[in-house]
Amino acid sequence: MERPTFSPFWHRIRSMKPRLRPHVQITRQHYRGRRWHVVHDPTSNQFYRLNPVAHDFVSSLDGARTVDDAWQQSLTRHGDASPTQNEIIELLSQLYSSNLLSTDAAPETAQLLTRGKERAAKRFKQQAIGLMYLRVKLFNPDPLLTFLLPIFRPFLSLWGLAAWACLIIYALVRVFSGDWTRLAAGLDSVVAPSNWGYLMVTFVALKAWHELGHGLICRRFGGQVPECGAMLLVLLPAPYVDASSCWAFPSKWQRMAVGAGGMLFELAAAAVAALIWVSTPDGALIKQICYFVMITSGVSTILFNGNPLMRFDGYFIFADLIEVPNLMQRSQKSLTWLVQRYIYGLKNQRPPSSVRSEMWILVIYGVAAMIYRVFLFIVITLYVLGLWFIVGVLLAAWTAGMWFFGPIGKFIHWLSSSSQLVDHRARAVLTSIAMAAALVVLVGLLPLPDYRRARGVIDTAGKSGVFIGTDGFVEAAHVRPGDLVKAGDPLLTLSSPELDSNENIARARLTDAVLERSEAYSKDDAPAAAVAQRKIEAAQQQLDDLTFRRSQLIVRAPRDGTVVAADPTLLVGAYITRGKPVCLIVDLTTVRITAVMNQAEAAWLFELPEADIAAEIRPVSDPFALTSVAHLRAIPAGQRDLPHESLSFAGGGEVEVRPDDPARRRMKSELFNVYLEPAMVDGVNPLASAPLGQRVHLRFALPSKPILDQLIDRINKTLQGRVNL
Amino acid sequence: MLQANTQYQALYQSLASRQRRTPAATGLDKFAVVAQLRIRQRRITVPWLRHQAELIDRISPELRHHTDAALSQRISDIREVFLRGRQDDEAVRRGFAVTREVARRETGEEPYLVQLMGAMAMYHSCIAEMLTGEGKTLTAATVAPLLAWEHRHLHIFTVNDYLAKRDAEGRTPIFARLGLRCGAIQQELQPAERAAVYALPIVYGTPKQIVADYLRDQIKLGNMTSAWTGMRELGNGSMASPAGAPPPGPLVPGLTAAMVDEADGVLIDEAVVPLIIAQSRKSDEMSDIYRTASELASQLTIREHYTADLLRRKVELTRQGKARCAELIASCPAPIWRATRRAEELIRQSLVARHCYNAGRQYAVIDGRVQIIDEFTGRIMPDRSWEHGLHQAVEAKESVEVTADRETIARMSFQRFFRMYPLMCGMTGTAADATGELQRVFQRRVIVIPTNRPVARNEMPTRIFRTAAARWDAVTAAIVQVHATGRPILVGTRSVEASEIVSRALTDQNIDHRVLNAVQDKEEATLVAKAGQLHAVTVATNMAGRGTDIKIMPEAKKKGGLHVILTEMHAARRIDRQFIGRAGRQGDPGSAQSFLSLQDELITLYTKRLGTALANLTSGASGDELSGRSLVWAKRLFKLAQARAQHRDRNMRSEVLRQDDWVEKHLPGM
Repeated sequence: MERPTFSPFWHRIRSMKPRLRPHVQITRQHYRGRRWHVVHDPTSNQFYRLNPVAHDFVSSLDGARTVDDAWQQSLTRHGDASPTQNEIIELLSQLYSSNLLSTDAAPETAQLLTRGKERAAKRFKQQAIGLMYLRVKLFNPDPLLTFLLPIFRPFLSLWGLAAWACLIIYALVRVFSGDWTRLAAGLDSVVAPSNWGYLMVTFVALKAWHELGHGLICRRFGGQVPECGAMLLVLLPAPYVDASSCWAFPSKWQRMAVGAGGMLFELAAAAVAALIWVSTPDGALIKQICYFVMITSGVSTILFNGNPLMRFDGYFIFADLIEVPNLMQRSQKSLTWLVQRYIYGLKNQRPPSSVRSEMWILVIYGVAAMIYRVFLFIVITLYVLGLWFIVGVLLAAWTAGMWFFGPIGKFIHWLSSSSQLVDHRARAVLTSIAMAAALVVLVGLLPLPDYRRARGVIDTAGKSGVFIGTDGFVEAAHVRPGDLVKAGDPLLTLSSPELDSNENIARARLTDAVLERSEAYSKDDAPAAAVAQRKIEAAQQQLDDLTFRRSQLIVRAPRDGTVVAADPTLLVGAYITRGKPVCLIVDLTTVRITAVMNQAEAAWLFELPEADIAAEIRPVSDPFALTSVAHLRAIPAGQRDLPHESLSFAGGGEVEVRPDDPARRRMKSELFNVYLEPAMVDGVNPLASAPLGQRVHLRFALPSKPILDQLIDRINKTLQGRVNL
Repeated sequence: MLQANTQYQALYQSLASRQRRTPAATGLDKFAVVAQLRIRQRRITVPWLRHQAELIDRISPELRHHTDAALSQRISDIREVFLRGRQDDEAVRRGFAVTREVARRETGEEPYLVQLMGAMAMYHSCIAEMLTGEGKTLTAATVAPLLAWEHRHLHIFTVNDYLAKRDAEGRTPIFARLGLRCGAIQQELQPAERAAVYALPIVYGTPKQIVADYLRDQIKLGNMTSAWTGMRELGNGSMASPAGAPPPGPLVPGLTAAMVDEADGVLIDEAVVPLIIAQSRKSDEMSDIYRTASELASQLTIREHYTADLLRRKVELTRQGKARCAELIASCPAPIWRATRRAEELIRQSLVARHCYNAGRQYAVIDGRVQIIDEFTGRIMPDRSWEHGLHQAVEAKESVEVTADRETIARMSFQRFFRMYPLMCGMTGTAADATGELQRVFQRRVIVIPTNRPVARNEMPTRIFRTAAARWDAVTAAIVQVHATGRPILVGTRSVEASEIVSRALTDQNIDHRVLNAVQDKEEATLVAKAGQLHAVTVATNMAGRGTDIKIMPEAKKKGGLHVILTEMHAARRIDRQFIGRAGRQGDPGSAQSFLSLQDELITLYTKRLGTALANLTSGASGDELSGRSLVWAKRLFKLAQARAQHRDRNMRSEVLRQDDWVEKHLPGM
């Protein structure tokens, strides 16, 4: 990388006698073993990071020495390491535009005004770009923090941290030692519209508490918190504080503590809420609020605050932890640099970091952050679309414009007019066109296999349960699982001593009654005869009944098929009561897959002829056992009954069922049932030996299409499924 | 009192011009700016201008019968209107009619309708495109009085000092009759004399002179922000300054109105390099260093140790070269050689001086001093030097005395300078391909004014040769042939070197000729005056920078007028057109022909590979001259080279603009 010593603009600053503004503070910080000097203006909260040589230069500017003299001194002191004229100009101009530098030149009002206007315009632009994160400044929280600090002071220490850890652990133990499945059950009550008002208030209060954490810890270590306000985070108001003065803290642990302060406070609140939640009765409003606090802090900690890939708390903690300042900005620069260096062949661009390990971190982080950003964009957009269609579309269009078309426009502008490219423009333009063309071919023209996925369950059309017909001891079992039986074949033989004795009693009663009747006839006592006759009938009936029950002692196969699901031989010697299931007799030749699919997933099923769809089945237990499908039938009407429990959440599947249905088979939304019959292998059903009720992965291969078409199709289907137009 | 008032005005205007900074539009704003301009000036169209000119023409007969006294009355009436700023369309037309009549009476030249149209376009701050030979000087003189009345001071920019002086003297009668005085800024004027000229309402001068004076003013004024305090700081000039000394205030009393002759040349071609004011360093012990660097550089071999990029004037050291440098500098005692980067920079600079700067092209060695040749006008620029040790490296290379490095104290780009004028208009012969840039950067529209008389120039087909030698032979042959008919000939070359080649060849042929180049441009006026005579042969470098009207003698006209031979193409097509435009002016007969070779600088710098390929393909086919299809291809090649060159210049200009804005925005104070 070429660094020319001289700059044509040196005359503009050479005889100036600037100095850092008197109230500017400089702190030392160490990043990855290197010393840096952070220049901080506490009144405007502006920062600038200097390397030791630049710091040496800046500190030699005392208002009496000219820039040229200071530069000459730096040259003799540092030789090649000394900044060049261009670098000095850049350095001074940045310090100057950050208002960190005062000069002997009379300040030019017009220039100051322009700078102020530009800053305002820039802020506005940032707001416009991040419509999802709109900021409104409210007031200076300093008096509040000054008042609260003595109260919280004892907790803001290592002991406080230990106490915090104990609280969290205790709360976790309490929650998970109880019936923690209720945690999942509570999910429904959160969205009950009657609670929304309370929840909104709770959310804002919780986030305010979070920000208080940042502010207090920042104050605790001597920083200033000059501003707080509210941010519209995905249309939800969330408070914020400006604790950026902590960037000047010399210790990275202190900086991290300020960054983590919000989460520490929020999790403490969540822990307290959890303890209240555990010990309050169901249905109380306080319980719901506590539940909400727990869930919100958990979700926001994982999705936003704790996540280093977004510019929230986790990002700053992470950047301090790995000691890479300006992580986001520099990682983007490093990606740009890589492209410029290796794709466009711009050899004299300066890499954003000269340290190899740091460069790796920057690149990896840059890629990860980019992927995450796209992912988050899709998720949020879909969420908002489902909530409020028009707003969602506008938001998506806006964000896509800002994140996608904006950068592309800028890129084209860069390509066409950047001075960096002066001698490489032809190559850069050609490379870009080639890449764009390759992308178009790959995405828009090249047909690629189109796979859709679903979950199903192994099921059968012909299936009968075998149940015990009468109570008794199992004497013998005649079949084992897998045995082929015909209808009427005995499966189990039971014995019932009770039945025997009951039969004897009934038979004795019958004999008695017959004798009674003969006696009445002989006495010609008609009423007595009638009584006896009734007795006979009753006894006869009881006997018939018992005979039927005896016949039930031999449990027979209700249909042709195979014994599955339970092993009857295990029952031998046991006393079992009537109605208890023994096993299933299943017609294995008709084993098939039943799948449920929502509108988005199933829509194409009704659009394509069956012949065009090739499907394959992989059981969850053995994903390598592949079965192809011979026949596919979709029922084009929505169902609410879940065909099999194992498809529900509780059964390990993905379908939500209504918690108010005792059988847990009533689905939350209407789904389509799809039946797939496996192709026979050598005349045998390949799934015949698979356990019924096992879940399987289904993959449908649709006719090949370019990726773009596939994407559009999927988005279309998803929107149809989610959005109530 | 009056003088103090004038001084205050001057200071106020000078400081005010400083505040007028319009940053160049970027991105989509560029289009918005152009659209805005179009809407604002929508009524100024060629039909409208013609209508206005006809209306003026209708007033003229009435004025023609006025006595001198009556005309004077008319003049003072209209002058008052303009001084008070009360002029409307009607008053403007009357003003033009008056100046036209004055021009007729004083110089005998009455502006034609098309000239009035051009003047009207300029009055509305457009750039009038009028073909060369359509009387731009007279057009300027027609509009200048009105602008001078309206804006107090009018600067008319000409291409060189000679023209400034000639025009100022030639137009003085017109201006004097109108109660205006005019003067010309010349290189040799002392500051006090300059101040006197600048105080006049109409000032002729070259951009370099006026920009430099303005810059010196700005340096003098330093951090002054208001004229009130400034007056106190400077002291009361009338009492303090002795006679003959420059006034304490600014020389240039503000920038109020500008008229640019050859606007494309000044605003586009010359704007590639900003103007720099430098002063010698008081102490400089670097001369030995430059000599050492030159010695070290001579020990490196091209391709093995370094690669040279002639176009960008850049040298890169190879890996081996760097190793060799490290070996070489190890034996040098001076501390500066310990800093590797700086040492390599010095060696590279020395190599650049060696390869990319040639005597006779970029500079000339005169009286043991290296003097820069202006690449645009082909003139020697005394007292100018390259920056940051390049000049010293060239001096070391030429083994002349190494002077002290000069340091920049002020810098101004033409783009910025001309945008500081609230009113700026211009004339040009060839603005067509610069229209877009003039609109974008200067926010001036280009209006194409129709010609008065049809052009009677015979343009003969371009001839292209494989080698430069063959071209020179053909040029000589052509000169001999035309010379025999008695017609005057003008031969254009791009460098001093080339003009000397032609001169030598002509001497061999015993043809009497004159050479006009950077090294000998003292008798320019006489040379140009004689160039239109019978049998005259004039060899000139960069006539484009001279803008002179060659008057053709009547007997020469009868023989067929001036014959122009262009021996090399310039980077910009416009400059070629200007040169060819010397022939056949104002309906005179004339002819022009271009002789090019594939070894021309234009080809070797911009389309080297294609040029060599074409030369190889055609070798041995039909001698050294290209014909048929290869001629067509060669013409295309020249077009491509010109396109590339223009593109490069455009980039450099936008870079200048960008840097200007950056500095303005990011660096504190002036």
